[in-house]
Amino acid sequence: MASRRRMLLKVIILGDSGVGKTSLMNQYVNKKFSNQYKATIGADFLTKEIQVEDRLFTLQMLILPFLQIWDTAGQERFQSLGVAFYRGADCCVLVYDVNVVKSFDNLNNWREEFLIQASPSDPENFPFVVLGNKIDVDGGNSRVVSEKKAKAWCASKGNIPYFETSAKEGINVEAAFECIAKNALKNEPEEEIYLPDTVDMAGSSRLQSSSSGCEC
Amino acid sequence: MRLREDARSLIFTNLCSMLGTFFLGLGSVYIKSKEAPAKDILKDLVEMCRGIQHPVRGLFLRNYLCQISRDKLPDIGSEYGGDGDSINDAVEFVLQNFTEMNKLWVRMHHQGPIREKEKREKERSELRDLVGKNLHVLSQIDGVDLDMYRDTVLPRALEQVVNCKDDLAQHYLMDCIIQVFPDEYHLQTLETLLGACPQLQPNVDIKMVLSQLMDRLSNYAASSTEVLPEFLQVGAFAKLSNAIGKVIDSQPEMPVFGSITLYVSLLTFTLRVHPDRLDYVDQVLAACVKKLSCLPRIEDKKATKQIVALLSAPIEKYNDIDTALKLSNYPRVMDHLDNATNKVMAVVIIQSIMKNNTYISTSDKVDALFELIKGLIRDMEDTDDEELDEDDFKEEQNSVARLIHMLYNDDPEEMLKIIYAVRKHILLGGHKRLVFTVPPLVFSALKLVRRLHCQEGDVIGEDVPATPKKIFQLLHQTVEALSVVPSPELALRLYLQCAEAANDCDLEPVAYAFFTQAFVLYEEEVADSKAQVTAIHLIIGTLQRMNIFGVENRDTLTHKATGYSAKLLKKPDQCRAVYACSHLFWVDDQDGIKDGERVLLCLKRALRIANAAQQMANVTRGSSGPVTLFVEILNKYIYFFEKGNPQITSSAIQGLIELIMTEMQSDNSLSEPSMDAFFSSTLRYIQFQKQKGGVMGEKYEPVKV
Repeated sequence: MASRRRMLLKVIILGDSGVGKTSLMNQYVNKKFSNQYKATIGADFLTKEIQVEDRLFTLQMLILPFLQIWDTAGQERFQSLGVAFYRGADCCVLVYDVNVVKSFDNLNNWREEFLIQASPSDPENFPFVVLGNKIDVDGGNSRVVSEKKAKAWCASKGNIPYFETSAKEGINVEAAFECIAKNALKNEPEEEIYLPDTVDMAGSSRLQSSSSGCEC
Repeated sequence: MRLREDARSLIFTNLCSMLGTFFLGLGSVYIKSKEAPAKDILKDLVEMCRGIQHPVRGLFLRNYLCQISRDKLPDIGSEYGGDGDSINDAVEFVLQNFTEMNKLWVRMHHQGPIREKEKREKERSELRDLVGKNLHVLSQIDGVDLDMYRDTVLPRALEQVVNCKDDLAQHYLMDCIIQVFPDEYHLQTLETLLGACPQLQPNVDIKMVLSQLMDRLSNYAASSTEVLPEFLQVGAFAKLSNAIGKVIDSQPEMPVFGSITLYVSLLTFTLRVHPDRLDYVDQVLAACVKKLSCLPRIEDKKATKQIVALLSAPIEKYNDIDTALKLSNYPRVMDHLDNATNKVMAVVIIQSIMKNNTYISTSDKVDALFELIKGLIRDMEDTDDEELDEDDFKEEQNSVARLIHMLYNDDPEEMLKIIYAVRKHILLGGHKRLVFTVPPLVFSALKLVRRLHCQEGDVIGEDVPATPKKIFQLLHQTVEALSVVPSPELALRLYLQCAEAANDCDLEPVAYAFFTQAFVLYEEEVADSKAQVTAIHLIIGTLQRMNIFGVENRDTLTHKATGYSAKLLKKPDQCRAVYACSHLFWVDDQDGIKDGERVLLCLKRALRIANAAQQMANVTRGSSGPVTLFVEILNKYIYFFEKGNPQITSSAIQGLIELIMTEMQSDNSLSEPSMDAFFSSTLRYIQFQKQKGGVMGEKYEPVKV
């Protein structure tokens, strides 16, 4: 049973609009990047089969709308459904844009938002990973948040692993998600696994075919 | 019975949607197996979903379809085929799902009892993302390139939006389209997108939709200069401007503030995208003026706020009022503001000038600027005087005063023109404003005088327009204007300032004339005894520093000053003014006047007055007043003694000290701690000088403390 539970690793990606959450996910899963900015409506997710410590997992990455309105400048009008998606998360990824101070300042809000919505059993030790994205922009000249500052914040929140990424150039994306998967795995499984109604059929169907065969 | 039927139908629909979910899952696996072309299966699935017509269940079922099919859509580079046709199929599939979902969603609005309408609309609003999700999926399909978007996706999506005739859906979906598709697409399809706006339901908040679009495009333009040519190529400004015009015309019901909000967005867009096109900015303002001119003066608070935003935008953008002054429609927009807001705006303009240290450097610009801020400069028609808050008025006028110092040009000739221009405007301000505006103008002119004086040598001659003499004439007339206020004390101060400046320019007659003016004012206008005291000390102070007067002029003036001093009302005031006059006869400069005898005369006279004051106090209060005056005079003695005035002797000082001591010991003298401290520290000073030795020590030798 334990192994079956661990088949799915659920990762929640949060951050201000426009920091590149969708782009990071797309780069990691589809190795694709588009310079065009397209807002995400509601919750969005992608899955990827991965191997960690010789075992196969399905990594499910969700970009979620935030529910508390602490910043009305965001895209909250596209966010009405969603509290259910938070449950059962194994890891939370906080993304900011190294060229936008506000997006970094908001990390704290995002972290708290997550802890409130997901209410993990052990909030102190819940695995977070922070990504500073868009390091490629203008050859790093328009950067306003230094690596040192970001690392200091991460250290102050219980040594959160930190990565500097570029979804555009694919820099550090693979490494970051590898770390994310490992940290997700470390998280103690919740009492009850919650599968939202949009969860992958592919994963479960494969399971079925390998055990008892099709029910129809 | 009824209940059973309901329950039955509920179970039935539930069963249907469960079945649907199951089949959809199955279909998804089937696509993965690649046994049949993805497009056929998707088509079947989307058809199958028609079976569920219960809006909420249908929405969720189709949302589920949307989710599971996402990574199986035939797209460029996807494993489920991605040639031209199959991309069409994918787009067709999502569009169809979108259309069907929107229909279900809109239907929710019309189903169920009327009394629950509000609750239902709230519920609907919470479900909107399910519908919007389809648009998001479309935007994520790589195969949806500009051509596909322009030819298929956008027209089909807009068709559905327009035809559904539902307020909530139209507003939300328009916003969705704007947010999920990239900026480049919007730019290239502006006409289509904007064309839909006037077709929306009258209750849809089009201004919000359009503002969102313009804000988005503005941000895009700001992101990189490389994208700007795109905007020019498609003529974005003209299209937006046109669309806004149409929307405003087609919606006569739209509140004023709504149309102005639209202009604000357009202006923001223009400033970001075409910062160099002042004519565009002016065009937007002109359109706004046109709209405003058909209306009575704006009373609506929200609308006024928007006009202020409209007018503030160019100032903030250019950080330079100069540019705003070139906008011919700018003042015309301001004319539509009520007086109070007009003033607020004027203050904003002044603050911008102050903050950015913008110098207004020609008289033409000064004229334009004063026209702009005329609400502060002169009384407007139909102003309600009662509303005027005294503090606000002061604050406003002080800001005008600060502004006057920003009107500056290095070239004296132009500077003089500026001064003439400012003078012309502020003289219209009425007596209440002159008190605030004349002083800065006077000082600005005096600054010019001093500058001319410094450059003197290379610019002398009658044909030069900007000469100190000419400016002093102007100053004369300007200060004279204060007589209507009347504010004699202020005028007197300014005359004295002018006199001092004239002194520095070696213009004796001019300086004398200013003094005469000051004296006339003193004699005729300054009646209040306190004001007289202040005035006389100012006169003495200024006169003391004058060094161009010949003996005769000087005698006349000092004579007058001492005369006034001795005629002050209160004895202590008289005494203090008289001993201050002593400085008029002893100027501690190299070639300053040093008339020891007259100094002594002044001091002796002061002593006599102090004595008289003491006696008066004895008579009226039964106790002699404090001996402060004597100690003050003693200090004057010490000053002149040290400066080497031969008339002031050590024995005089000695005598004075003894006099004070006797006074203090007399039974009926009033003891005052501060006075005692003053006296004892004076004595300590003498002691100190004695002990220090040297020349000064020797001088003090005979004085016994």
